[in-house]
Amino acid sequence: MSPAATAPSGIPGHPALSPMLQRLAAERATGALMRDRGTLYLAEGQVVHAESPATPGIDILLTTGGTLRSEGWWDAVAQAGAGQRVGRYLVDSGRVPGGALELCHLGALYDAAFFALAPTHTPARFRYGVSHWIGPVRPVPVDAVQRETLRRRELLDRIWPDALTDSAPLVRAAHPLDAPVPPRQRRVLDLVDGARTATDIARELGRSAFHILVDLRRLAAAGMVATVRPAAAGPASAPGRIELPEVTADPDVALLRRLRDALEAL
Amino acid sequence: MPGIDECLLEVMRLPGARGAAVVDWTSGLALGTIGESPNGDHEATAAETAEVARMAAEQPVFAGDAAVAGPGTRTPGAVPPHPPGLPGLAVEDVIITTAPGYHILRFVETSFDSSVFLHLWLDRAEGNLALARMRLGDIAERLVLA
Repeated sequence: MSPAATAPSGIPGHPALSPMLQRLAAERATGALMRDRGTLYLAEGQVVHAESPATPGIDILLTTGGTLRSEGWWDAVAQAGAGQRVGRYLVDSGRVPGGALELCHLGALYDAAFFALAPTHTPARFRYGVSHWIGPVRPVPVDAVQRETLRRRELLDRIWPDALTDSAPLVRAAHPLDAPVPPRQRRVLDLVDGARTATDIARELGRSAFHILVDLRRLAAAGMVATVRPAAAGPASAPGRIELPEVTADPDVALLRRLRDALEAL
Repeated sequence: MPGIDECLLEVMRLPGARGAAVVDWTSGLALGTIGESPNGDHEATAAETAEVARMAAEQPVFAGDAAVAGPGTRTPGAVPPHPPGLPGLAVEDVIITTAPGYHILRFVETSFDSSVFLHLWLDRAEGNLALARMRLGDIAERLVLA
């Protein structure tokens, strides 16, 4: 848990996300880059698939919404898994439309890559020649994945600069809602129960975990959700990371609400 | 059976089409792009148009009747009824007119959870807004249908 909580303190001007990934792209490598929080699959230097335990896989995304029944998924894995063409098989057998598969797979790829490329102190490993059984869907350049990952970190910090929201269990604010909550955020809020983390909520809803992070940071910025902070950890370190000037989108109500909550908590 | 690229190519066949993109409005990610973009940077354009799409998609005033948990539900702990599963889209598209052109953001409805829209940048002199809007709707549907 701690690496996720401490990592994103690095503000703008990040160095390259992964020098190893850069090098593998340059040498047009094929294989699996295994990092602490996920795996990127490369084919000839391009990213063809990514997985992370932090975000639901394409199987969960497709089956939760009813695009695909889980028998259909397992049948495709059984028929085409060994040949590493599960994606192609899903489309060719008429189970998933081609455009839908591309949208879903690309979304899942960038989401998993975001988590897989999170800062870590564990060295990465690369296994040459390994490929994923989903097979080719829509490869993306390494540069695009790295740029997008950095952009996403900045996006999250612009919304609400507390990275603990991404990994800690969350609680709902005690006060009643006094502003409309958009339906997609509402479904996230409904699952905040003091125990679930962003990843748990993503799995439950069958939604991309990055989308959940965005919604949760918005809810946190509006003062509707807060992290369950470990009681033992010194609270003295927390205020240092909160940069109020960064919160631009209509801060008044949310700011006042947080001040009130803080005062009440004294 | 079209994919993202085939759909974008089809969009570009519309008279006056200058550029187009498939964008995720929660993250601001460009899933596919074609042609020009107003500021020469498709990724930046995607992040900006995503913000507009999100605002439109999330405003209660556009959401119809039952779709939104409005300020009426003030009781703490009271869970407002919302339809389980994926509700239909409340907003179909957003059209923005500038001096040189039109921007049409057309939401794409998928059977899995997503927040995707098609963005078409149309030249004002050469484009036909009504035609483009209708075609974009068809293409958005075909993108996710077999």
